Amino acid sequence: MSRADAVTRILFEEFSAAEVRLFYALGYAAIAVFAYGVFVQIRKYRRGAPLRLEGGLWARTVDMTRTVASHSTLVRRDAAAGGAHRLIFYGFTLLFLGTATITLEYDILGPLFGLRFWHGRFYLVFSLVLDVAGVALIGGLLYMMVRRGWLKPPKLDYARPDRAPGDPDFDRPQYRREDWAFLWILVIIGCTGYLLEGARLVWLAARPEVWDTRWWSPVGALVAEFLRAAGMDAGGAGLLRHGLWWFHGLLALAFIAVIPFTKVKHIFTAAGSLMARDPLAAQRLPRIPESQAEPGVTRITDFTWKQLLNLDACTKCGRCHEACPARAVGAPLSPRDVILSLREFANAALESATLPAAAELDVHGKSPGQVAMETLWSCRTCMACVEICPVAVEHVPIIVQLRRKLVEEGAMDPLLTKTLQTIHKNGNSFGESKRKRAAWTKALPFPVKDARREPVDVLWFVGDYASFDPRNQKVTQTFATLLNEAGVDFGILFEAESNAGNDVRRVGEEGLYEVLANSNIAALAGASFKTIVTTDPHSYNTIRNEYPDFGGTYEIQHYTSFVKQLFADGRLRVAAPLTYRTTFHDPCHLGRFNKGYEAPRDVLKLLGCDLVEMGRTRSNSFCCGAGGGRIWIPDPVGAEKPAQNRIREAAAIPGLEVYVVSCPKDLTMFEDALKTTGNEGKFVVKELIELIREAIPARLPKEITA
Amino acid sequence: MKIMVAVKQVAALDEDFEIRGDGRDVDPDFLIRDLNEWDDFSLEEAVRIKEAAATPIEVVAVSIGPDEVDESLRKCLAKGADRAVRIWDDAVTGSDPIAIARILAAVARRESPDLLFAGVQSSDQSHAATGIAAAAFLGWPHAAVVNHLSWTAGARTAVFRRELEGGLLQEVEIDAPAALTIQLGINTPRYASLRSIKQAAAKPIEVLSLHDVGLGEADVGEAGSSSRVRRMYVPPKGQAQLIEGDAAAQARRLAAIIREFKGDPA
Repeated sequence: MSRADAVTRILFEEFSAAEVRLFYALGYAAIAVFAYGVFVQIRKYRRGAPLRLEGGLWARTVDMTRTVASHSTLVRRDAAAGGAHRLIFYGFTLLFLGTATITLEYDILGPLFGLRFWHGRFYLVFSLVLDVAGVALIGGLLYMMVRRGWLKPPKLDYARPDRAPGDPDFDRPQYRREDWAFLWILVIIGCTGYLLEGARLVWLAARPEVWDTRWWSPVGALVAEFLRAAGMDAGGAGLLRHGLWWFHGLLALAFIAVIPFTKVKHIFTAAGSLMARDPLAAQRLPRIPESQAEPGVTRITDFTWKQLLNLDACTKCGRCHEACPARAVGAPLSPRDVILSLREFANAALESATLPAAAELDVHGKSPGQVAMETLWSCRTCMACVEICPVAVEHVPIIVQLRRKLVEEGAMDPLLTKTLQTIHKNGNSFGESKRKRAAWTKALPFPVKDARREPVDVLWFVGDYASFDPRNQKVTQTFATLLNEAGVDFGILFEAESNAGNDVRRVGEEGLYEVLANSNIAALAGASFKTIVTTDPHSYNTIRNEYPDFGGTYEIQHYTSFVKQLFADGRLRVAAPLTYRTTFHDPCHLGRFNKGYEAPRDVLKLLGCDLVEMGRTRSNSFCCGAGGGRIWIPDPVGAEKPAQNRIREAAAIPGLEVYVVSCPKDLTMFEDALKTTGNEGKFVVKELIELIREAIPARLPKEITA
Repeated sequence: MKIMVAVKQVAALDEDFEIRGDGRDVDPDFLIRDLNEWDDFSLEEAVRIKEAAATPIEVVAVSIGPDEVDESLRKCLAKGADRAVRIWDDAVTGSDPIAIARILAAVARRESPDLLFAGVQSSDQSHAATGIAAAAFLGWPHAAVVNHLSWTAGARTAVFRRELEGGLLQEVEIDAPAALTIQLGINTPRYASLRSIKQAAAKPIEVLSLHDVGLGEADVGEAGSSSRVRRMYVPPKGQAQLIEGDAAAQARRLAAIIREFKGDPA
């Protein structure tokens, strides 16, 4: 044997044949338990409803791999935890690959093909890499321990806003025990690995091929130096190595065995969930298949396999819990706990060999694992949870599916019931006559084209709030005037327009949504236009993302990007630059839903305004509380409203003059919150359209006609 | 066991309505139609009795009106009515509530329900007569403005409560078959999702003619009615004006107006 060949991994040296056999037996047993666990989990997912994913498997794999490798979703809004996870992930992955490579050579390639590569320089470099990986793993784990034990970020508190202290699933101490067990087991595996390495070096110090290359495993070598300094001789080290070998090995095998039964399974479920990600999960809700007898989700098995996988992917990181506007104002909802509740339910009901009776699968209610209707109705479908989830859990469609069942049963606030009936009857949520939809145009000094009768370049889909709410009507008239002055050839659908249905769909009244969508699509089909423009982000979202599923595919813009283009084309010019100190509130349906972050900011800057961002901005914008039909449901008396929470955030900006919004519902919500928080007179809430008007004083009539 | 629920599709005024050419009603183009609010409650009450009963109870929604009334009947089917019956003949046009009650009574003879429910009144005409008049035609006991009801399927009597002036409640036992007019608030009507309404479209609505229920054209319409609408109109708006200025100026203006009315020289 050459010197290079002699430099290799010491495996079973000085083990009796019986010991080796025992180790293999235990190894196979661990793999068997793991395999059984995987079978149980897959059986659980398969008990969900079928779903065909769009897009190719390859593209999904590439996308998932990129996300996992870069940790891009994990470092968001928590760089330290994300960074520590990266250390753990790469440390663990390298150590796993290293160990797997040894198995590959020793048990497969070597015996079968005589192929052996675990020698010489290759071994040494790998040894160095694995030593560094171990440091990364332990370092990351130690930070996580410090975080859980000392830093204690509120999002890691498992106390639930939808349960009371004393309820069996209030703060779930078993989760904490599992978290700590996970961290400790990995730390012990890592540390005993180094100790084992050091002991082996001391034990075999007489062999030059071992001792002389010891600094290729620097941490092990340091441990060896320490052991020798502490007076350990080769014999003692041999005994220590033998004992530690078994301890380390058994712990590692036990870890592998429990993966499918514990939070460790997120290694697989999170990756799977990321692969199954729907980039439009909240923007485009699923239709109810013709074959489905009852709408929405009643039983745990009504969820799709992907949603059941979503439940298992959750790592309780608390990012959604932190971002949720309902949770922030004390409503009985945390998206995290909806997911965890359903997960407990799925585990209890779907992991057994036989499926329980249908009655035992009902997920609606107040028992542990069930979701209460108060929880479901607290949701604003603002998408903050879906957007921040690092493992692509899609909470919003889950919540809406559960709401569909509540709507079918009529289990909702009486005011919401009334509103839905009103929308069905009148086509708008204001209970106004259809004929009055375009009444705001009467105050204009110029006629607004009827897009049903003559072709237009721009079809303006006005939406309910902009059409009927008196405060918003002023903004609507201003926008019409601006379009007119810019020479835009535009028209509206008059009484043929109905509520776009975005919020009706998010309430869970899918049947009514279909009626509204089909009615609007029919009205749009009767008009001739190039593009749709709307000032309403809610209408914008559903027309853009959901109408295509009903056969209506259009080019549509929110007014912010349309106006930005008018400025770029010189059709609008700032005549009197503004100098306001402003902040901008991203509407959920424009920002998070459709990534329209830049256009409103660009316009604000064009106008000359000084823009100061709030802490929660862009993708982390804080919902005004009106979404998901909540604008039709009264908020609890006395409790803080999301809009008030938001206005208080803005009020902390020194010298703020204008709180700028670009959504009709935002204008209503925030003007109200400005008053109720006592900030009236300190700053004002304005639509961006109103600021544009201010910066472009109306031209003289003769110029309009010129 | 059977409960018959008389329902009406009422009309609500749209914005800027116009009066019909003959001046006796609003131009139908300006009406928005919907199920009468009271009937929503009486149907709900029937469906609740049915759902709570150990023995099967059939809930039959009955309405008098043209094709478009099917929309309201479908809503009743969506909310849990087992069957829907609609009676129509062009001759029914112009019927007063008594003539309508005659038709309902004829249907009730055909259906022979244990209880007949009607709303206290309809929101568009406010006669509050139809349900009680039907009971009179049938010779059944009746009660109006019921706000609580307990009846066990097959029981010979029903017990109900009525609210009287001064916060008094009256509890009454009534022999079945009986006709009851149901007050708002007796229950919380359920929501009929669009999906359930759509599914109800598959359930047939039985359409009957006058002859099917043993009536002739002379029994309905103006011929069968003892009252006729003469005209419908919007009264001229009263004249009012706000007198502005301080107390002295207001007094001077007031005095001038009084003098003007009296015909005194200014």
